[in-house]
Amino acid sequence: MSVPLLVMENVSTGYNSRTVLEEVNLKVYPDDFIGVIGPNGGGKTTLVKIILGLQPIFGGRIHFPSGRIKTGYLPQASQVDRSFPITVRDVVASGLKSRNPLFPHLSSSQKKRVDRMLDEVGLKPVEYKPIGELSGGQLQKTFLSRALIEKPQLLILDEPNSHVDKNFEQELYSWLNELSREMAIMLISHDIGTIAPMVKTIACVNHSMHYHPSNQISEEVLKVYNCPVDIIAHGPIPHRVLKRHDDE
Amino acid sequence: MMSELFSIFEYQFFRNAVAAAVLTSIIASMVGTYMVSRKIVFIGGGITHASFGGIGLAYYMGLNPFAGAAVFAVMTALGIEWLSEKGKVREDSAIAVLWSLGMALGIIFVFITPGYTPNLMTFLFGSILSVGKGDLLLLLIFSVLLCIYFVVFFRPVLYTAFDPEFARTKGIAVSAYRYLMSIIMALAIVLSIRTVGIILVLSVFTIPQITAMIFTRDFSRVVPWAAALGAFGSVAGLMAAYVLDIPASAAVIFFLTVQFLIIKACSLLIRNIKRKRVSG
Repeated sequence: MSVPLLVMENVSTGYNSRTVLEEVNLKVYPDDFIGVIGPNGGGKTTLVKIILGLQPIFGGRIHFPSGRIKTGYLPQASQVDRSFPITVRDVVASGLKSRNPLFPHLSSSQKKRVDRMLDEVGLKPVEYKPIGELSGGQLQKTFLSRALIEKPQLLILDEPNSHVDKNFEQELYSWLNELSREMAIMLISHDIGTIAPMVKTIACVNHSMHYHPSNQISEEVLKVYNCPVDIIAHGPIPHRVLKRHDDE
Repeated sequence: MMSELFSIFEYQFFRNAVAAAVLTSIIASMVGTYMVSRKIVFIGGGITHASFGGIGLAYYMGLNPFAGAAVFAVMTALGIEWLSEKGKVREDSAIAVLWSLGMALGIIFVFITPGYTPNLMTFLFGSILSVGKGDLLLLLIFSVLLCIYFVVFFRPVLYTAFDPEFARTKGIAVSAYRYLMSIIMALAIVLSIRTVGIILVLSVFTIPQITAMIFTRDFSRVVPWAAALGAFGSVAGLMAAYVLDIPASAAVIFFLTVQFLIIKACSLLIRNIKRKRVSG
């Protein structure tokens, strides 16, 4: 087995004196594709923030056996201020680290990298458009490009399918399938049914974390994990059938 | 009529006033775009009014009132940024407290200052027509330093304003940039109080910026647009003040607002015509 990118040992964290996550143990390997599920307020986003170094920990240890890793992060769409006067190009470029903090401008090679990224994802025609004029799909592409531009070893996506139409959702998932061959991915979602066929393993987060080493999970197991999420899916994965909404 | 209007430029005080208006517009274009984009205009209001406490205290102690204002403004700006970062007190409540406390302290200190009572109207509404060479030099130095700062550190300033959390993941010292911008905001506001006064200063930091955003929603372009619109509206306001014999700073704000309304109306009209053409 390869060396893990990151290891979390008995990590706990919270806000002010309130503990949100306790005793989290997790190893992320370079070829992992982990679906992170759990109820709202259960600590999914907090888990991500710990990994990104945005959230201090109360106890435990987090370490990177093969040295500091490059991470790419796609925040929830609701966290983005669409009225902010910034262009697609500037957002994508913000994913690049400056080489000289005293003169934090983009080098010519970095500018070319931005051009290539915009070309690859088809955003070149809208590169100077403000983000407020983009469709939901274009906006997610912009933020995903920002997350990917430094070729991260670990890509973390927080609810990437919210605020996008079904067509873009399919495009996004086939994109993630391709990316999973090049980097580890952690995909946070409240919709286990949609992500389960794609991910390899599942982490159930509800104030603590249970790692499930498969993408097949039943309601019974979720109960054992204390992870109250509805399973709504089709295909070979166990699922709950909902009543037709339009009958009510 | 026109030659009579432009004859006002023969007077040194008017040329000083125009230079002050242009330099204030340049300063406000950068700082104001940052404030409007981050939706922290209300913080600017808090800083402005809290600085009146510093003016009063400086008067009471026999010091330069603008130095007092600068100290109070910087302390208020840093305090608000700290509270907002730590999230211990609701930001809007903290601003409201500092806003009214500053005004109250200012009035109390001015009232208990023995002997000559300073003219409060000068601070509340500015005195752009009495701007001297020293004031102009200060405005010039500050605007040059600000331009250099924005050119060199444009990327981190933009990124920390837009998405501080992501900027942190890229190793940008978000807190340092935000605190520095708070100090810059405070100093920019205090310098502008000299020209337009406490009551009206916020308009110079918002109206040209929201007008510029009708033309472009690209931060790097909003700044020069806001500077040009601010300078044009301010000079037009000064000239109107001369012709109509009305208070200069109020005329400047009135012109900036009229300029915004005209441009907004035109943009809505053009958008409607375009829509009709597409649907027709």
